[in-house]
Amino acid sequence: MSEKPVVLSLDKATIQFGGLIAVNSVTFDLYKGDLFGLIGPNGAGKTTCFNLITGVYKPTSGSIKFNGKEVGGLAPAKIAEMGICRTFQNIRLFPALSVLENVVVGAYLRHKTSVYGAYTYLPPAINETESLKKDAMDLLEVMDLADMAGSRSADLPYGKQRRLEIARAMATKPDLILLDEPAAGMNPQEKEDLQATVRRIRDEFGKTVLLIEHDMRFVMGLCERIVVLDHGEEIAQGSPEAIRSDPKVIEAYLGEAV
Amino acid sequence: MLHDTLNLVAGLDFSILPQQLVNGLLLGSVYALIALGYTMVYGVLRLINFAHGEVFMLGSYAALFTSWSLGFSPEALAGQDKPSSWINLVLMLVVSMVVCGLIGMAIEFLAYRPMRNQPRIASLITAIGVSLFIQYAGGLFLPQSPPPAISEQVNPYRNEKVTVTLAPPPQDLVVQAKDARAKADQMDKAYEAAKAKGDPTSLESMRQETQAAKNAASNLETQVASKSTGLTVPYGQLGMLLTTLVLMALLWFIVQKTKTGRAMRAVAHDFDSAALMGVNVGRIITITFVIGSALAGAGAMMYATVLRTPLTPFLGVTPGVKAFVAAVLGGIGNIPGAVLGGILMGIVETLVVWLDGVVPGLSGYKDAVAFVVLIAVLLFRPGGLLGSSKVEKV
Amino acid sequence: MKFWGVRGVSILAGLGFAFGLETMVSAGLPNIYRLVVLAGLFITLAVSLNLINGITGQFSIGHAAFYMVGAYSAGFVSNQFYAQQSLGPQLWLVVMMVFGAFMAGISGFVVGLPSLRLRGDYLAIVTLGFGEILRIVVQNIAPLGGAYGMNVKPFGSPPKAIWIVWTLAMVCIAVCRNLLRTAHGLPFLAVREDEVASSAMGVNVPKTKVTSFVIGSAFAGAAGALFALYDTFISPDTFKMDVSFIILTMVVLGGTGSITGSVLAAVALFAIPEWLRTLQDPVTKVAIQIPGPSLVATMLAVIVAVALVKLIQDRFYGDKGKKLGLYVGAVGAGVAVQFLLAALLKGVPQLAKLSFEAAALRMVIFSATLIILMLLRPQGILAHHEFSWAWVSKLFGRRPSEANA
Repeated sequence: MSEKPVVLSLDKATIQFGGLIAVNSVTFDLYKGDLFGLIGPNGAGKTTCFNLITGVYKPTSGSIKFNGKEVGGLAPAKIAEMGICRTFQNIRLFPALSVLENVVVGAYLRHKTSVYGAYTYLPPAINETESLKKDAMDLLEVMDLADMAGSRSADLPYGKQRRLEIARAMATKPDLILLDEPAAGMNPQEKEDLQATVRRIRDEFGKTVLLIEHDMRFVMGLCERIVVLDHGEEIAQGSPEAIRSDPKVIEAYLGEAV
Repeated sequence: MLHDTLNLVAGLDFSILPQQLVNGLLLGSVYALIALGYTMVYGVLRLINFAHGEVFMLGSYAALFTSWSLGFSPEALAGQDKPSSWINLVLMLVVSMVVCGLIGMAIEFLAYRPMRNQPRIASLITAIGVSLFIQYAGGLFLPQSPPPAISEQVNPYRNEKVTVTLAPPPQDLVVQAKDARAKADQMDKAYEAAKAKGDPTSLESMRQETQAAKNAASNLETQVASKSTGLTVPYGQLGMLLTTLVLMALLWFIVQKTKTGRAMRAVAHDFDSAALMGVNVGRIITITFVIGSALAGAGAMMYATVLRTPLTPFLGVTPGVKAFVAAVLGGIGNIPGAVLGGILMGIVETLVVWLDGVVPGLSGYKDAVAFVVLIAVLLFRPGGLLGSSKVEKV
Repeated sequence: MKFWGVRGVSILAGLGFAFGLETMVSAGLPNIYRLVVLAGLFITLAVSLNLINGITGQFSIGHAAFYMVGAYSAGFVSNQFYAQQSLGPQLWLVVMMVFGAFMAGISGFVVGLPSLRLRGDYLAIVTLGFGEILRIVVQNIAPLGGAYGMNVKPFGSPPKAIWIVWTLAMVCIAVCRNLLRTAHGLPFLAVREDEVASSAMGVNVPKTKVTSFVIGSAFAGAAGALFALYDTFISPDTFKMDVSFIILTMVVLGGTGSITGSVLAAVALFAIPEWLRTLQDPVTKVAIQIPGPSLVATMLAVIVAVALVKLIQDRFYGDKGKKLGLYVGAVGAGVAVQFLLAALLKGVPQLAKLSFEAAALRMVIFSATLIILMLLRPQGILAHHEFSWAWVSKLFGRRPSEANA
């Protein structure tokens, strides 16, 4: 495991809102190709952790390194450009845009032609648009959304909106993809499909995946390593089996079957 | 640099500052009354009610027509003085408030209610349309700048005032002025006596000397007046401040202590949840419009009567915009914020006029200052002075 | 090859249209000439505001400020240097247009900066405030003519402007349309939809917002410069808040985000008041007088008819034919109310003695139209649709098949 290069490394990452320490000294490393789970009870600071990594919040102290470079406190767009992309807990698509357009917005990050070519509608910009659309279509095929490419994203059923968010994040060609409760609100069949898709993202596309999820069966069945947060503190780290039997984790979830 | 600043400060006439502050407070309380309507409607509907300034304008006309029907129309007065009483003023205030409340209700029912489920910008355009419509339709039917009967005749207290001296003038100056006046009186007496005696030789030179002494005396007296710091507040303005305070207390009571007020706060907090909790949202919105418009009506009556503003159908535009700015300044949707913003706006505006004494031409910018203050405040507090700028949860 | 062919033909067609309009209209009355110039300017203003407001979603309601910056900077410079230049009036106009666009672009940049911190209504009031501050500052600057306004060289002999004005309008439309047809336009739409998600997808949100402000205001400034040199007189009153509101209305009424809608609404909203201004009796050439009772009756009747139509629109679910019949009935009811009330109100002496010139009613009719259109079609005339041949054929393609069935 340790031969693989470290992709993301949190070292005592901490954020404080007024008197509340939302994330306290969280430390973990992600290696290339990891399928990593971040779990914990409600209000444990999981999403805040995501917000720190993606630049929505600036850490109060500690460091967050991505591919060896410090990213803590950089602008979200800059971090996305460096190769971290995410989905949101409360789906944040671009509602009035079509499914295809949503994905192209993600892909646009890697555009090469000048915007002046767009104002004047010159062939380089047109051709690039075509190729970005084609790439986006390919991604929609992977995520099984190709047949709905033309419809407004707001009109999609809930489960498909979640898949579309993943497709959009994938389109930015990230090294690391963060999924915030990707299975929330899905039925068992959809969850199973999603597990397969996430595996495919890792195996076929070679992405590193960090995900938050409440559904323990989903996490345990998918992730190879897990970090558990409670009240902003890291209480356990390890393989699913180790986590399952960890007394602190059991206490945190109190009675819930882990 | 410092020297220049000191010179500027030295050039300021501090003796009129308290008076200016009182004027600012009066203007500010009108802005505050209008701003309350903006902020309350924004609170429940998230709609900038651009027609609110026009409701205000109609309120001032309602006061005018009431005064006419009370026998103070230009035809009835025919240039004569006519005794008035405070009951007339109260009647005008009540009529203004009722008329404005009804107009606010009608606007809400006809123009905003059908737009409730539409994008906010569509309602905003409707509001702009209503505002333009009232202005121009008013231009067709309402008298353009009628004679200021309501400001001059209806107010029975227009000549009575309280004078408060804050800092007395220098004693030696007072003595000088008194002496000069005594001397002038003496000379005047001597001159009159000489005239009665009919001594023509020195009469003309005596007359000239007496005149010079009189002039010197009144010059000194003016100096005394300008060196003493104090303020003069007409009874009408005192009554206006009092009325504003009473209305605001009443509003506070309604919003904080009654069931309707609680429902209003619930709707402002979360429209949909309030509806689910059994609040009759439609009724609450109507009440909000009625209260907000009635407050504007009270402001309008006082603006026209006590502050003696000439009426035109476009009267509402400038105070309307400034009151809206005041509401945003205080934090839109926040009721104490609207009051604070309105009073601040009024005071800042009169202070700019005051500063005109040392920076000539500054008063030309008086209408711009409201926006300068607003932009400066918003850049540091994006949610306004008392408003909370909500951080979007991710 | 085909691409450049289409391109060349469309550019030629555009220029041909502009020059054709110039030739056609210059033969007519000077009044009409002015109207066609102003219509072109308002199209530019509406489409450029649509870029800021409709496409990028930045709620700017002070567009007249940029129009004013362009007009005053071009007017001032033209007064200083017109005598020395040797470019000829038309080329000078183009140079001034570019200059006005540049200056307005800079001011757009300045106004765009608060958009990085403020959202929604707060941004709106700041843009409005910026316009008002600027107008009051100009009012107090003597070299710019203060509140009285300023004559702009060449005094009294405006250069031929229609082709330049309409070319500007077409360029403005083309730039916005082109942007939306490539992937480069998507970040603008994404910022409108969700800023947080946009930045997470790597969209440079501040840059996108400011770009949209700069481009939008530059086009407005170009329009302002053309206005100053064409009209040869500008005053702060020309750029009041009302003008900003009217431009905003054009954008919303056309359908927020739809360029075609902005163009249509700009022409319609500009044409209605101007047409009413010229309304006179065809025979006697005297302005038409409308008696007070029928005016009030008409206002009330319109309220009744619109309320009925709105009710039918919202509450009636049935087949189209029946609905159409009901609409006709509603309008008929309105007409009946009008006649009835007009007859009744004739008995009110205060009202009966009033009478209004049709031209004096133009803003009343304008605002009433605005309210009615917004009530009956809140999503705008075209909603989010754009003109394209495919859309037209879809719109009309269905009709015959329905008629056959």
